[in-house]
Amino acid sequence: MNGSAADPDAVRLACELAHDSNAKVYAMYVIEVKRSLPLDADLAQETARGELVLADAERLANTLNCDIETELLQAREVGPAIVDLAHERRADVLVMGIIYKRKFGEFTIGETVPYVLKNAPCQVCLTRQPESA
Amino acid sequence: MYIIVVGGGKVGYHLTKALLADGHEILVIERDRRKCDLISDELGGVVMHGDGCEASNLADAGTARADMIIAVTGDDEDNMVVCQVAKAKFQVPRAIARINNPKNEAIFKRLGIDETVSSTQVIMERIQMGMPTHPLLHLLDVRAHGLEVVEFRVPAGARSVGRRLRDIILPLHSVIPLIISPSKGPVVPTGETIIEADSEVMAVTRTESEDQLRLLFTEAR
Amino acid sequence: MRVLIMGCGRVGSTLAVDLDRDGHEVTVLDLNAAQFKRLPAGFRGVSVVGNGIDQDTLRRAGIESADAFAAVTQGDNRNLMASQIAKHIFRVPRVVCRIYDPIREELYRGMGLETVSPTLVISGLLKASIERE
Repeated sequence: MNGSAADPDAVRLACELAHDSNAKVYAMYVIEVKRSLPLDADLAQETARGELVLADAERLANTLNCDIETELLQAREVGPAIVDLAHERRADVLVMGIIYKRKFGEFTIGETVPYVLKNAPCQVCLTRQPESA
Repeated sequence: MYIIVVGGGKVGYHLTKALLADGHEILVIERDRRKCDLISDELGGVVMHGDGCEASNLADAGTARADMIIAVTGDDEDNMVVCQVAKAKFQVPRAIARINNPKNEAIFKRLGIDETVSSTQVIMERIQMGMPTHPLLHLLDVRAHGLEVVEFRVPAGARSVGRRLRDIILPLHSVIPLIISPSKGPVVPTGETIIEADSEVMAVTRTESEDQLRLLFTEAR
Repeated sequence: MRVLIMGCGRVGSTLAVDLDRDGHEVTVLDLNAAQFKRLPAGFRGVSVVGNGIDQDTLRRAGIESADAFAAVTQGDNRNLMASQIAKHIFRVPRVVCRIYDPIREELYRGMGLETVSPTLVISGLLKASIERE
């Protein structure tokens, strides 16, 4: 989760996948901590935002009758944090939602998604929002 | 400790790996995107892409809260500037520079960088200790002929500890000209020399046999 | 005056020719002998091939008797290192150093080095001519 408009799609997709195989869903939100601060810095604002995003995910999952657990993490970079957690939780599938984004007029996918695609130990499902969304 | 390593080449990579294993917080700053990706794929989010000599990059890296900065690029002038900028602008308590050209050691000292490491110097000193008459020029020749001068420490639990050198079968075209043991100091070993834990072993070997040779002495029992 | 110039690019060679014309004793140092082609036929100075951050090369180029040293290679760090060697080790009375990066320039000026940042000088000149009526 990152608080984008693509979050609900990702939760829905994860819940559907979990439902078919009776699996559990972990929703994770990573707070990226600038290098100028220690990793365990107290980031009240970012933490509050992350908690909101995860609460939304939990609510949505509950309406879909899905067993969900949430996790709020602080890390230097999102990609490696996701990959680490996937290892730790022995995830079978990682689900990520992205919005259609342009940078300098070009479609961009950012750095996190390619990192996860390259390094994740498991299957990765990516859901992209329609361009207009 | 928070330690910043500038330069993600061979030295920077291995240094980072070792420091991470010791539980430190590490950031590598590397100019070459491909080297960044290689490190990041293996070691995770410990890399920043950029020029470590640029003060703005050092600021983003949180140099102001770093306990130490280690500059290990292949260019002495870059290592010098990294250390000077880190000390003067960010008040980093310790700045260590790798020196590629041994002649620069004195210059670095004069310019206020008092902690330097020169691998060339270390190896040369060892060779001079063990073989005082051996011409140093040979060191420069070996690389071109597919040979490497390597050194490594024998860990306490290694299989080689307690064995005679003659009982360790070396890879073809490898010799051990020098062992610095904790009890006897530097010795030119014979077949009867017994390998002790924490000895520094220096070897000349073919490039392709380097790993095999290292394992013979360092692999755990 | 005896002047040693490190770097025989556009700036280094122009400076060398200018100083030579004014009657100074000029030595130009560059890693690449091809660079000396920039010096015109009438140039009376000396050219030396070598690395300006090497003390032995600097000695060979006569730094011990130089009255002034100018570091104008393409590399900021190379210029900084050579200038500091000239100033602190060989005690050359006058040392000037070109640094493209304005931040590094400011920092080393604060540390007592005489520096010129072409970036600042040129953008200043351009700004002045744009604003001129």
